[in-house]
Amino acid sequence: MAEMIQLSVFRYDPEKGGKPFMQAYEVPVSGPGMKLLDALNYIKWQLDGTLTYRRSCGEGVCGSDGLNINGINGLACITPIAGLKQPIHVRPLPSMEVIRDLVVDMDHFFDQYRQIQPWLQAVTPMPEHERLQSPAQRAELDGQYECILCGCCTTACPSWWWNGDRFLGPATLLQANRWIVDSRDEAMGDRLDQLEDAFRLYRCHQIMNCMEACPKELNPTAAIDNIKRKILARKS
Amino acid sequence: MIASLAHRASGVVLVLFVPLYLWLLHGMTGSPDNFIQVQAWLHSGLGKLLLWLAGVALFFHFCNGLRFLSIDAGWFESRQLMRLSARIILAMTLLAALLLGLLL
Repeated sequence: MAEMIQLSVFRYDPEKGGKPFMQAYEVPVSGPGMKLLDALNYIKWQLDGTLTYRRSCGEGVCGSDGLNINGINGLACITPIAGLKQPIHVRPLPSMEVIRDLVVDMDHFFDQYRQIQPWLQAVTPMPEHERLQSPAQRAELDGQYECILCGCCTTACPSWWWNGDRFLGPATLLQANRWIVDSRDEAMGDRLDQLEDAFRLYRCHQIMNCMEACPKELNPTAAIDNIKRKILARKS
Repeated sequence: MIASLAHRASGVVLVLFVPLYLWLLHGMTGSPDNFIQVQAWLHSGLGKLLLWLAGVALFFHFCNGLRFLSIDAGWFESRQLMRLSARIILAMTLLAALLLGLLL
């Protein structure tokens, strides 16, 4: 008989009423390198079709399956089962409104992302071909552009838990920095104007949970500090 | 996370130590009798414990404050160095706590 994995999964269906609860499941190990998403898929397809969660690419690119796994935020699709303490407690991302089971309402998160106007802004006329960058200018984007907006960092941030209505959170601020450091973008002044606010930017107190939570091993704390230094530099 | 939480906690300890410190100062400068009383209290178990706590909190808050400032300035900003510097400061504080415990 195959080795079994014990899971304890958060269940909640607001339409049916009742309280949220943790449901226990047992899933066989499918092979070496098995990921948490494989276990959830097994539950969905073989044991209990009512379990609801988001997933798409299954390889850590789309950012759909951000979950709280044994208390730590991460992507189910790239989290190996081996090394996780059992029973594996799987919960939705913290501080988010639950739509059903592991699916949370990301509307506010993406609203905040829209606030930073995440597209290239330039007033100079379009060159004949593309806007060029030197290899050094392109290297500035490393560690910034890889963010997949899964929400693991933002929902791990205590400042965002308390002031999420006004503090933009690490993911959005990392994305803001991505455009600030882009040599082709010409709206840095406007971007900094928009961010220079006691809540939008300065609620970050360097707790560094975002850096620990990021499944893509990025560093939102460093990105936020870079924005703060850019604001300081233009004042002096 | 632990270093950040400890930074807030040690800050609270240091703020709460201010009234105690003023009370000690007031007691020690009142009269020779008062001075002896306060000195005796400081050498009691509770007095030593509070001094030790304030000392450890001051050490940690100072070192970690320097760490935060340096990260603000753009030094030690890689993921590895952020983690390593937190561990080093926590280890240094543990050592300082032991030393202060022995000295008191």
